[in-house]
Amino acid sequence: MSKKPNTFLRFEVMQRIEHILLILSFSTLGLTGLPQKFPTAGISLFIVSLFGGIEIVRVVHRVAATLFMLEAIYHLVDAGYRLYVRRQAASMLPGPDDVRDALKAFLYNLGIARSRPKMGRFNFVEKAEYWAVVWGLLIMAVTGFMLWNPVATSLVLPGQAIPAAKAAHGAEAILAVLAILIWHFYHVHLKKLNLSIFTGRVSLEEMEEEHAAELEKILQGEQQKAVDDAKLRKRKAIYLPIAAVFSLAMLYGVYRFVTLEQTAITTIPPKESPVEIFVPQTATPAPSPTAKAVSNEAPLQVVSQPMDISIMVLTGTWSEGIEGIVASSCSTRDDARNALDLNNSSG
Amino acid sequence: MSDKIKFLKPVLMVTAAATLVLTLLFVASQVLPAEGMRLLPEQDLQTGNAECLLCHGQSDQVVSFPNGDTVSIRVSPSEFGKSAHGLELMACTDCHTNIQGYPHPEVVGKSQKGYSASYVELCQDCHEEQASQLSDSIHGQVLAAGNENAPLCMDCHDPHTQQPVRNAQGNLTRSARHEIPNTCARCHSQIFDQYALSVHGVGIVEENNPDAPTCTDCHGVHQITDPKSTHFRLQSPELCADCHTNKAVMAKYGLSTDVLNTYVSDFHGTTVTLFEKVTPDQPTNTAVCFDCHGVHDISRTDDPEKGLQIKENLLLTCKKCHPDATTNFPDSWMSHYIPSKEHYPLVYYVNLFYKFFIPTVLGGMAIFVVSDFSRRMIERRKKPGQASEEDASASPAAPEAPKDVKGEGKDEDAKQEVQDE
Repeated sequence: MSKKPNTFLRFEVMQRIEHILLILSFSTLGLTGLPQKFPTAGISLFIVSLFGGIEIVRVVHRVAATLFMLEAIYHLVDAGYRLYVRRQAASMLPGPDDVRDALKAFLYNLGIARSRPKMGRFNFVEKAEYWAVVWGLLIMAVTGFMLWNPVATSLVLPGQAIPAAKAAHGAEAILAVLAILIWHFYHVHLKKLNLSIFTGRVSLEEMEEEHAAELEKILQGEQQKAVDDAKLRKRKAIYLPIAAVFSLAMLYGVYRFVTLEQTAITTIPPKESPVEIFVPQTATPAPSPTAKAVSNEAPLQVVSQPMDISIMVLTGTWSEGIEGIVASSCSTRDDARNALDLNNSSG
Repeated sequence: MSDKIKFLKPVLMVTAAATLVLTLLFVASQVLPAEGMRLLPEQDLQTGNAECLLCHGQSDQVVSFPNGDTVSIRVSPSEFGKSAHGLELMACTDCHTNIQGYPHPEVVGKSQKGYSASYVELCQDCHEEQASQLSDSIHGQVLAAGNENAPLCMDCHDPHTQQPVRNAQGNLTRSARHEIPNTCARCHSQIFDQYALSVHGVGIVEENNPDAPTCTDCHGVHQITDPKSTHFRLQSPELCADCHTNKAVMAKYGLSTDVLNTYVSDFHGTTVTLFEKVTPDQPTNTAVCFDCHGVHDISRTDDPEKGLQIKENLLLTCKKCHPDATTNFPDSWMSHYIPSKEHYPLVYYVNLFYKFFIPTVLGGMAIFVVSDFSRRMIERRKKPGQASEEDASASPAAPEAPKDVKGEGKDEDAKQEVQDE
């Protein structure tokens, strides 16, 4: 065998782009989603105000969710192409080997096993993460659809499916974010910085430690098998139309997902209350029944000039008034005194 | 003679002096009554009010204004005595400063409102705080905007009859709380008609229940704000919660105090909370308490006709904002329940699942990560020299120092595995 190469191609350009899309959409979803899960936390308020309000946060969340779904559709089509057209091994499928590898790795960490497991193209750490993302995406997409389109959902499902979806969406979000922080960040950032998803290449040492079985196969030349051009063309001819139809169907699904209903999202103006605000009660009749008639003739009853009796008599009411005052002057005084006695007793 | 004169001299002087005094007294008695009211010393206020009440205590006279408004000039002595101003021993002339005797000066103003307005500044002299609150309030704003229907101080508080509204502890008296809706009803009669039939209104209007909210409990008094404003809307859940999270009060009526936290944790409540805290000017139709329960016509949720516990009624309220909602839709709102096996079991079991699922998954991950990390730390410490050398050579696989030894082991494993397969 010739000399081992120093680095190995691990990720093609499109796979690296996919990962960048995932970083963008996933972190945006987490950043805009968790504040909605914990709306009273100070950090949530800070994040929401950073975005300029919850309305904008929600729009950004939905844009990121759409990006995530589109990326997932691309990934499905690409996976089909790899498996069917290029006949690549389904190296991401979990199997009993992965359980054994995980156990062995754990036992090695405990000092019981003598060596680390030899693992294939995707080891159990990566498979666990990949399938966690798939699981998370499915749950989030289904429950997200229900939250996005609650009226349509309640046409076919019982109403309480929507709060249940909300509970699952929030819990799954916590799980996903923490899993990324614990699992992903440890294995590719903390343990040692693994930049292969950006550079596309891994070093020999990394291959030896994490993908020893794959390394062996590469060195044995197993994956260098040339694919027959004619066969490749034939498979492409079959796969590409199917993929096109599938993609269109999925894109239409996303379009429906996004646009199905708006009443849960848009602000429709509230209806005006049928109750009038200013409706004065009917006025209580004035104490003097003659008041109205008088007011027509002499609008201002209380006049500044020294009152002389002739005017009072003219107005028709003062005579009565004067009579009253004069006749009952004593009793009125008593009334007044009584009132003021009350004052004295309390004051 | 000289003796006689001597004797008469003091007598004459005394007589002259007495005559002078009597004359002065007579003149004074002729002059003073006309100016008595003006010159009254303070301690003689009673006489002053009494003078006024001589006429105003019983006259049926009305003052008419050019626009046709008429105002009775009667002031009931007994009611004034019981009023806050009467109890404070205020004199009529403290407010009616332009009246210093009879006849009275001409009444200025083209209407009752205009006449009242001329006194508002006087109210402010003593009630400065209330006056400034009023000018900031919605009533003050519409007044400033030229709305003639806007209330002035005396439209709510008749200065001659307004009794004290607070007791010694500073709390509104029951009778005041009972009277407030009647005061507001003078201008807001349609709202009063709704309120009087509501669960809150019955509590005040019919039962005079101190637990029930009167108008000012929700709207404020002088600082009353525009209830159609975004600010009022976004803050309203906390307003309702003031009473509805009070365990002692709610227990009397068998009402849940979870209404606020269940609301806040739901979609509507989360949104409104975030709006209020982050963008308080955000106009929204996101449901607050009164969108579903009603405002002045709020009824019990178990009301046989209007109660929200009847799904059809709830659906109608949903449809106000979600016009396409159908039968199942109202159940998407958990009716202030905390999910349990009895109420919203699906939600309960989803929560239960994640209560175990999350710790299991994350715990498994954490255990492995910790084991892996400690293993690597141990290996690094075992070979410090080698590790640092490889670090210096910038190999990303630095911690995997003992390659030679391990490589052999790996090969053996590999052979075995190949054989297994």
